[in-house]
Amino acid sequence: MEPRFTRSKSQALERSLSRGSSRTGSGSAAPPEVTLGAFALLFSELVQYSQSRVFSVAELQARLALLGRQVGLRVLDPLVARERGGRRETKVLPLLLFVKGPLWRSLFGKEADKLEQANDDARTFYVIEREPLVNAFISVPRESSSLNCAAFTAGLLEAVLGASGFPARVTAHWHKGTTLMIKFEEAVMARERGMEGR
Amino acid sequence: MAIFSVYVVNKAGGLIYQLDHYAPRADTEKTFSFPLDLVLRPHDERVVVAFGQRDGIRVGHAVLAINGAEVNGRFTADGKDVLEFLGNPANYPVSIRFGRHRLSSNEKLMLASMFHSLFAIGSQLSPEIGSSGIEMLETDTFKLHCFQTLTGIKFMVLADPRQAGIDSLLRKIYEIYSDFALKNPFYSLEMPIRCELFDQNLKLALEVAEKAGPFGPGS
Repeated sequence: MEPRFTRSKSQALERSLSRGSSRTGSGSAAPPEVTLGAFALLFSELVQYSQSRVFSVAELQARLALLGRQVGLRVLDPLVARERGGRRETKVLPLLLFVKGPLWRSLFGKEADKLEQANDDARTFYVIEREPLVNAFISVPRESSSLNCAAFTAGLLEAVLGASGFPARVTAHWHKGTTLMIKFEEAVMARERGMEGR
Repeated sequence: MAIFSVYVVNKAGGLIYQLDHYAPRADTEKTFSFPLDLVLRPHDERVVVAFGQRDGIRVGHAVLAINGAEVNGRFTADGKDVLEFLGNPANYPVSIRFGRHRLSSNEKLMLASMFHSLFAIGSQLSPEIGSSGIEMLETDTFKLHCFQTLTGIKFMVLADPRQAGIDSLLRKIYEIYSDFALKNPFYSLEMPIRCELFDQNLKLALEVAEKAGPFGPGS
């Protein structure tokens, strides 16, 4: 007995998102695409749902980050399998380039604008995006002007880095558009320095 | 070629967004000596010309400024009553600016809900079923275009009579509304629209439509 969520055969619900896979068979497995409008409405509901359960902007950002974390954990494995043939990155810089390129492209359809390292701190990196996709339709009211819904993306990135073996803290800031500040843990940098010899 | 203003009215007839894009100011400023040859009288919160139309000053025009200082309703900038001030020969010669007064936001609210009612009457009076309601109101100085969506929101654009491409502009405004207002988590339905991105994109769309001029925007 197949598990069915609907009693009647609902065509729309049973149809697979990726139209390519059913036609070409096992060959190309193009990642399914969703319209921007659908995603925007879903994300808007995500924000409203979280907002009704919190009392401050910081809490809202924390909630969005939590939700982003769930997505990040699930997105890493299939992506590494598709793009890198199952080999995960073991060094910091290639991992960050993987984040800026393939990860962003598979999530948002475009690469992140810039990847920078902090001048004074070897542990801190910045992923900069002028107009992040999640914020495309959101106008933050003046009362909560410090809220950046890219906190969702920050949580996503934190989960991706953590699951790849590079625990870090990622926060979203309003700087040059939206900047995600990645701060790796000391253990990661120590391991990186140890590996430098090879 | 100009688009004067945009109004967005919700299902209940309340004005939720208003933008004055371009307002042709037809003010006339003149110096007068005692006695004033125009008859002024108070009307609502303003002092208007009742008789003595001349030189661009028409009946119904309000007193906008006296000696360069803008009047505050029925009182001058210093707090004196305008009619008393103008009745005193010691204050002459005086320079007064007349013109059509700008609508206050309350008046705009009232006018928008009146149009909403007229629209409803129009669609009910129609001999055919499924009438689209009032789509265009034409006068010799402007054309009012109205587009009602499936959800009952009305988008109204007041433009120059020669301006073309307003239909596609109305559809574009509908698109901008569905993008930047409906997808914004901080916007509640049927409430006044206070979204920066909506304002920005609407102004851009108006500029594109204006530049296209009398031939409509290129596809």
